[in-house]
Amino acid sequence: MSILRGIPGFVLRRVLLGVVTLFFASLIIFAATQALPGDAAKAFLGRSATPESVAELQRQLGLDKSVFRQYWEWISGVFTGDLGMSLANRLPVAEVIGERLVYSLFLMLIAAVISVPLGVALGAISARRRDGVFDQVTSVVTLGLAALPEFVVGIALAVLFSTTVFTVLPSVIVTEPGVGPWNYPKELVLPVVTLVIAVVPYTARIMRASTVEILESDFVEMARLKGLSERRVLWRHAVPNALAPTFQVTALNLAYLAGGIVVVEAVFNYPGIGLLLVDAVRGRDVPVVQALALLIAGLYVVLNLLADLATILVSPRLRTSLS
Amino acid sequence: MQSTDEILSREVKPGMTRADLVKRAGALGLVASAGSLGPLTEAAFGRAQARRGGTFRLAVSGGSTDFIDGQHIVAKSDIARLMAGWEGLVYFDERYKIKPALAEEMRAEKSNQYLIRLREGVEFHNGKTLTIDDVIYSIRRTKNAKLKLFGNAGLGAIDLKRTRKLDARTARIFLSRPDVTLMEAFAQYFQGVVPVGYQPNAVGKGPLRFIGTGPFKVQSFTPGRESVHVRNENYWRTGQPYFDQVRIINFPDDAAKVNALLSNQIDAMTDVPFAQVPVLNRRGNVEVYISQTGAWTPLCMRVDVTPFKDVRVRRALRLLINRPQVVRQGLSGYGRIANDVYSPFDPAYAGDDFPQRRYDPEQARSLLRRAGQSNLSIELVTSPADTGMVEGATIFAQNAKAGGVNVRVRNVDGGTIYGDQYLKWPFSADYWGTRNYLQQVAAGVLKTAPFNETHWDAYPGYKKFESLYRQALATVNAGKRAQIIREMQRMEYNDGGLIIWGFKNLTDAYSTKIGGFRPDRGTLNLNKYGNGFRTIFFV
Repeated sequence: MSILRGIPGFVLRRVLLGVVTLFFASLIIFAATQALPGDAAKAFLGRSATPESVAELQRQLGLDKSVFRQYWEWISGVFTGDLGMSLANRLPVAEVIGERLVYSLFLMLIAAVISVPLGVALGAISARRRDGVFDQVTSVVTLGLAALPEFVVGIALAVLFSTTVFTVLPSVIVTEPGVGPWNYPKELVLPVVTLVIAVVPYTARIMRASTVEILESDFVEMARLKGLSERRVLWRHAVPNALAPTFQVTALNLAYLAGGIVVVEAVFNYPGIGLLLVDAVRGRDVPVVQALALLIAGLYVVLNLLADLATILVSPRLRTSLS
Repeated sequence: MQSTDEILSREVKPGMTRADLVKRAGALGLVASAGSLGPLTEAAFGRAQARRGGTFRLAVSGGSTDFIDGQHIVAKSDIARLMAGWEGLVYFDERYKIKPALAEEMRAEKSNQYLIRLREGVEFHNGKTLTIDDVIYSIRRTKNAKLKLFGNAGLGAIDLKRTRKLDARTARIFLSRPDVTLMEAFAQYFQGVVPVGYQPNAVGKGPLRFIGTGPFKVQSFTPGRESVHVRNENYWRTGQPYFDQVRIINFPDDAAKVNALLSNQIDAMTDVPFAQVPVLNRRGNVEVYISQTGAWTPLCMRVDVTPFKDVRVRRALRLLINRPQVVRQGLSGYGRIANDVYSPFDPAYAGDDFPQRRYDPEQARSLLRRAGQSNLSIELVTSPADTGMVEGATIFAQNAKAGGVNVRVRNVDGGTIYGDQYLKWPFSADYWGTRNYLQQVAAGVLKTAPFNETHWDAYPGYKKFESLYRQALATVNAGKRAQIIREMQRMEYNDGGLIIWGFKNLTDAYSTKIGGFRPDRGTLNLNKYGNGFRTIFFV
């Protein structure tokens, strides 16, 4: 019972902390996009700005009101689901972002489902066969892949499987609006593989390091002395204890995938929020930039919370210290 | 009522012989004999390898700021969509000559009076018949300064109050001042004819927002993603278009477009990066399409501020750019050098008649010495807004060192160069498409021009330049007009503030499954997007 009391309490504290974090993030986002010197309206209109069109847009953005009032209207809109209108095409921001978010989350999910077990397994086996052939090959390959930028991996995969060497897979994803990403399994292969290649090296390396450490600890020695098989020692005793740091790294990687995979989206023309953010920044579409920045910040908070929670669940020491 | 010839031309199918066609004509209850098929039918036989139907997929660059309007564009994606759905009264053909489109007849009766007679039986996408009222509405909409439409400046001379309707298809329009460039203005692709009441003021709103007379109707549009266009069954040109459907798909990244074309996910793309052209050339199933346009990316010196106020400085700087090098390195050779004069397709273009300016650091040095500017140090603002702007500026900065000029290139984003300081930078790069000379003067050179880049009005001879311009506008005789234009070009060639180092090519590509593309001099990609997707087809 004490465990149950401890973890909900922890979650509650972390959620509150997350809200505070997001509040500060929202202040920074707002300041950087709307309140700073330099007129957002003039920046958006660019070559076609006239005094009338600037005044009109200032009214639309609420730039004629006080800074506090502007912030209040924006942030209360976030809570009521009214994120305003995109300047670029006068569509509601939620509608502009909605489908893109589904695409990004789906890609992220598939990449995570494949790369986390793969990274954990590779890391654990490498640690178990430390300095053996498998470990050395994995080590060199993961290090090499980690050093490659994602767009290089993406383009190389496209050249290899799609445009030049073999022409078996589509090189880009051409989607129809209103059709979910799960309807394009063939098109998803290359983006997913690229992301898996981007994430697995980090997961595998951190997993290997922490497993190596655990395998040298006293309780593993104890397990061995009890006469347990080496396989059982690794998967039942060492791996669960080595997972904690891996979760942390994976969470950061996944959060990065949400907004930072712009280049991968560009290579495969994947309609996710990364490309939308670039597009919105380029077009000075302030409401869309604000919403996306806050969304990505929120994703970081949620993923970190989940990672911490998972860490606690796999670490008996932390679990008991909470209760 | 359709003629037998028109009906028969639609019946021509690949592999059909003339005898087959005559049999088919009999089955349809038409009278025809193999010896006397009409001209349209013969033309259809000539294209019998053209297949009807299919979905054509075009990749364009664009973003969430995309919109669809029959009379306005900002990005290239907007042009592609406009070309699918709208047409003007007249248009520029592949040799940059003006041809009738929706107008059956359009001519200057006097230098300030034009007659417009529409084709009979043209229908809008919603079934409404095209009348002269729609044309007058379209002109009024373009002339509405508040809408800031692309074609606004071109129709400035029209005095709509004096327009006289002669019948449902005919009107006489009057100009408040003579303007011989009016036909050219009407031939621009963005002078689409829209129906009375057309107001596509916002996505998803606005009456009649997708209605035009063009070969394809808009079926759906998602800004930043794609648009789908379906065949206009009542299109007035017989036998066109060929495709059932056109999809215009946005690609934010050029390399992704190339990959999509290579893996057969699209049928054509605009703007192949120059470096990729040789790669595509080696592929058997892809055709690279190169158009020599009149597009240019000048370096603009403000004539009204020091040091550019001094004509010797302007002349020196014009000698400090190695033009062949910029074309070779900056455009990978996809362009040709220029001589500080714009509008190469204007019949009166004189850029080739003046001595070609060459890279001459020695002479530049001596000009600068005489101007008292031996250790000149200047800032040049540029931006990657268009190909050639950064390249031209960077190579110029290297070249200028030999003349003792230190050029600091400041590369900013498009929002900054076209922000508050636009048209105020002392020395900056800019970009332009293809226009004839007088139209370009109105757009970017006159004191009243919306894009007055060089502030040429500070030049001592400007009064004369402007009076020559007025004179040219009123001169109907083409030969006499050419002489006046030549004189204006000479003034700009000698003393102007523009460094025009070259004209750029467009490099597009399409799959060999597509036929019908023809060479084109215009400023638009891919043979004016396959002339609005109606002259191209699957083979």
